[in-house]
Amino acid sequence: MDRRNFLKQVAVFSSGILLAEPVFRITPDLLAAEAVSPILSVGTGKDYAVLVSSVLQPLGGIAAFVKPGDHVVVKPNIGWDRRPEQAANTHPEIVKAVVELAIMAGAKTVQVFDRTCNEERRCYMNSGIKPILDAMDSRKIQCQYVDKRKFIPVTIDKGISLNKWSFYKDALQADCYINIPVAKHHGLARLTLGLKNTMGVIGGNRGKIHGNMSQNLADLNTVIRADLTIIDATRILLRNGPQGGSLKDVKILDKVLASPDPVAADAYATTLFGLKPEQIESTKVAAKMGLGEMDLNKMDIRMV
Amino acid sequence: MTVKFTLRTCRKLFQVLFFFLFLLLFRLTEYSGLDEIPYAVNIFFRWDPLVAATVLLATKSFVSLLLPSLAIIALTIIFGRIFCGWICPMGSLLDWAGKLIHPSLRPTPSLRSVKYILLTIILISSFFELQLVGFFDPFSILVRGITIGLDPAFYLLVSGFFDPIYSYAPQWISNLSEPIYTVLKDSVLPYKQSFFLLSTLSASILIAVVAMEKLGKRFWCRNLCPLGALLAIVSRFSIFRRFPGRSCRDCQHCAPSCRMDAFDPESRRIRHEECNLCMDCVDNCVNQSSRFRFLLPDKQLQINIGRRAFIGAGIAGITLPLLSQVNAGTRLPHPTLLRPPGAAGEAEFFSKCVRCGECMKVCIQNALQPCFMESGYEGMFTPKLIPRLGYCELNCTLCGQVCPTGAINKLSQQEKKNFVIGIAVFNNARCLPFADHSPCIVCEEHCPTNDKAIKFKEVTVINSQGKSIDLQQPYLIPELCVGCGICENKCPLPGHSAIQVLSTRTTSEEDEYGLSKSLSKQKSQITFHV
Repeated sequence: MDRRNFLKQVAVFSSGILLAEPVFRITPDLLAAEAVSPILSVGTGKDYAVLVSSVLQPLGGIAAFVKPGDHVVVKPNIGWDRRPEQAANTHPEIVKAVVELAIMAGAKTVQVFDRTCNEERRCYMNSGIKPILDAMDSRKIQCQYVDKRKFIPVTIDKGISLNKWSFYKDALQADCYINIPVAKHHGLARLTLGLKNTMGVIGGNRGKIHGNMSQNLADLNTVIRADLTIIDATRILLRNGPQGGSLKDVKILDKVLASPDPVAADAYATTLFGLKPEQIESTKVAAKMGLGEMDLNKMDIRMV
Repeated sequence: MTVKFTLRTCRKLFQVLFFFLFLLLFRLTEYSGLDEIPYAVNIFFRWDPLVAATVLLATKSFVSLLLPSLAIIALTIIFGRIFCGWICPMGSLLDWAGKLIHPSLRPTPSLRSVKYILLTIILISSFFELQLVGFFDPFSILVRGITIGLDPAFYLLVSGFFDPIYSYAPQWISNLSEPIYTVLKDSVLPYKQSFFLLSTLSASILIAVVAMEKLGKRFWCRNLCPLGALLAIVSRFSIFRRFPGRSCRDCQHCAPSCRMDAFDPESRRIRHEECNLCMDCVDNCVNQSSRFRFLLPDKQLQINIGRRAFIGAGIAGITLPLLSQVNAGTRLPHPTLLRPPGAAGEAEFFSKCVRCGECMKVCIQNALQPCFMESGYEGMFTPKLIPRLGYCELNCTLCGQVCPTGAINKLSQQEKKNFVIGIAVFNNARCLPFADHSPCIVCEEHCPTNDKAIKFKEVTVINSQGKSIDLQQPYLIPELCVGCGICENKCPLPGHSAIQVLSTRTTSEEDEYGLSKSLSKQKSQITFHV
């Protein structure tokens, strides 16, 4: 009920009828109650389209998340002016596979966007994501650059370190929000996975988030809660992240993992780097806030 | 209504065509999704013989990029100043502006010599390596005025109309307005809002040139344009001329209304070098006797700029470079003056840069900005990189591609990645992990070099509350830094960044006891990381 109320505020604010900023009042415990049992599915394969759809099978397939007529947001990492093999952005074929599945499940529109770090046109082009989606030539797919006018200030009433930030309207209003980060190294956060990928839908001076990154990310992820997290570990960046640049830092795994629980997905992906989930501060803080499960033993892990 | 297809109609069509081409190329001076711009968007500068002449004189070397200027010289040798009348977008703009603001005066023909004086000063001073062409070349004035001033203002005007509708008007209105906005964005508008220093000054110079039209038809072209003067001199040899070479005795049709005032009032002879072949006199002739045809140059009126004026211009052309060279600014280092990637050494850069603004137009991050007085008046409108406004994208090579004279060298992607614009320097008194003991390293995250120039060390510090905390503190490895400035740009501190890119370029003669001037020039100060 509370989320619906929040979305109503977003709609009212963005249409300019009311000037009161939307207030997000949902507490993390309520979010935890919303969470389904942490089932997590991992797969390996060379054909990424087949891989994505088989990884989603144990979760009930894409239809468990995308209902006919839904407005779907697929949020890859398109942050950097890097080529697909350099592992700084989500692999274009993974993006394409997810978008295709969403459309097959009856999505009305599928929006793909990211607030980039390098120049947006260079990122969209050189990541291979815009070319591959444009080639699909479907009116339902909207691979557009971020529109500055669509950032809406949100008061995060129950946030611990962040109480106000602006969010992208389309991300807030999506019927189904699918987060598809790429798994890679990051200097400050050690790794950047699903929770950190949310930084691509927020406005403002993002550098400030770094001051108390883990708690800030957890607070942001209470507002943007991914219905489904698919982590692209087809190739992972081991060093010099988050943008890399050298193929020497890239390890090819041909793996994809998926979970409706964003914390569980991050926790498992951490192990691919030879690290323990506890070593990633943002996973720990998010689990503590009740955003999801980080104990690998308490997850229902399915290998496909 | 029937439209008679006359020579004049033909000329007008050409004018529209070339003006459209000019605008089209201007719009195409933009990242298109490809690393290379596939069109010669800078062609209007590359076929400009005045640009070619001054660059040739200043660098004492041949710049192959400027070869197309020979085509305009050839055209002028055959047809005279047809370039001024049929092709030049500035001339067309003035013709159309004149229709609106009705030139009221008839300036004295003696003003004509001003353009030759200007030309003399520009050519002679360029030989002594003072490049003034950018202040007077019509395309420099035009492109700069549009790029730096009018184009961003145009975007602001349009977005200032549509954005409030989107934000505040009822949904159904914005449902109507947004598709129009999208069409405009895809056609006439630049990709995004850009911001430039000297926006008012640059646009005002262009507007002033247009406003001069009030003083007389084609006031700029007749009296001031140094390119027009150069073409006028060349056109004295041209073989396509008006016949008869005089206006008729009692007929008042062509001479008084001539847009270039090309008829000598006493002898009634046409000053062929002033004629821009607009074809008005052909179409207006009641006797149908006036026409253009191939004719050998005969005895003609001399260009009379006056011996004293000529000598004066020559002295000015020598004195101005001398004065510039004794400006103490040339001896001072300019640590915050960052030149674009691929920029030649400062002396060569000054000789080649014609202040056209193409690099600023194409810069994908709006990082290149016009200088004001940082490097003297001589360097006004030359490009500089201001990282706090926009950084240099590591994989982008567009500025070198559009530079018409090679002042900014065209770099391959690999060369670009290793080109050193400057070196970043930390200010630990402001940098958060040092000064405030709070985590940050946003600079390290964004550092794009492969093997990052910014690294961090893990330290344990006692913070201001007396608590022991683990922290990452950044530091720079100068040998890896290329000075792209993304660190300075993204530093989350308000105001000054805690990391700043400083120029590593040397001033022209930093060490008087080593290399001779010519030597140090050849060994241009481009540094590459190998």
